[in-house]
Amino acid sequence: MHRPPNKFSPPGGFRRADHQIPYLLCDSREKKSLQCLRICKEYSSEVLLQLDPFLNELTSMFEKSKEKGSVWVTLKRSSLKSKLQKRKLSSAGESIEYRCLIRATDAKKTISTSVGAKDHQRFQASYATILKAHMTALKKRERKDRKKSTEAEKKQGTSTTTKPKKL
Amino acid sequence: MVYIVSWDEFVDRSVQLFKADPESTRYVFKYRHCDGKLVLKVTDNKECLKFKTDQAQEARKMEKLNNIFFTLMARGPDVDLSEVNGKEQMETQPVKKGRGRKQ
Repeated sequence: MHRPPNKFSPPGGFRRADHQIPYLLCDSREKKSLQCLRICKEYSSEVLLQLDPFLNELTSMFEKSKEKGSVWVTLKRSSLKSKLQKRKLSSAGESIEYRCLIRATDAKKTISTSVGAKDHQRFQASYATILKAHMTALKKRERKDRKKSTEAEKKQGTSTTTKPKKL
Repeated sequence: MVYIVSWDEFVDRSVQLFKADPESTRYVFKYRHCDGKLVLKVTDNKECLKFKTDQAQEARKMEKLNNIFFTLMARGPDVDLSEVNGKEQMETQPVKKGRGRKQ
């Protein structure tokens, strides 16, 4: 299946996508990359939790990444069903129930939960509380600078207005 | 990757993006405490809108956006968003009644 190299082909040879090459046929470099992918998939398994344990884990993630690191939170609409199940439901005439899928990761572990229409308000409130409590490193508006700028504007305003009055 | 400067533009465009394709649109936010930075991203895998900030006031606005997205995603893209603002007003009203009774 390998094409013979000619002056038009790339110097390193053609590289196909990893998933297209059967494992036994790929070279040692590709085998190592496939092995790495498998190991990464094992480590990055996502944990699906209930709402309250998810909030507790999210809080601990924020606390752990205070010194360094990031916290990513993803919100997505999902029915948590496969395409086959969706097709079956739509052909049977039933409505598909959608939920809001929330994932949080700190690059070491991933947690997730799904929120339905009934729970979303309660979850929203607790989620907002957690964010407010932890996003404290952001800069606050410097009111001193604001005051100085407004005073400077006032001074400029008064100096321009006094001249016509004198006249 | 386009970083949008105006918050209102970011909100409008991201809600439009979600309503156009609710199945594949996702809202991601990344917070780095050590750098004090917040980055928001809304993408439908074709178009990507990003917003970055280091201001605490933007974080408060982000909470409102979170509420909007929660409502849209949990209930559906056809939800009337004025309900979200209506709920906030409902929460503030009982507080005023309480003050009146104490007098």
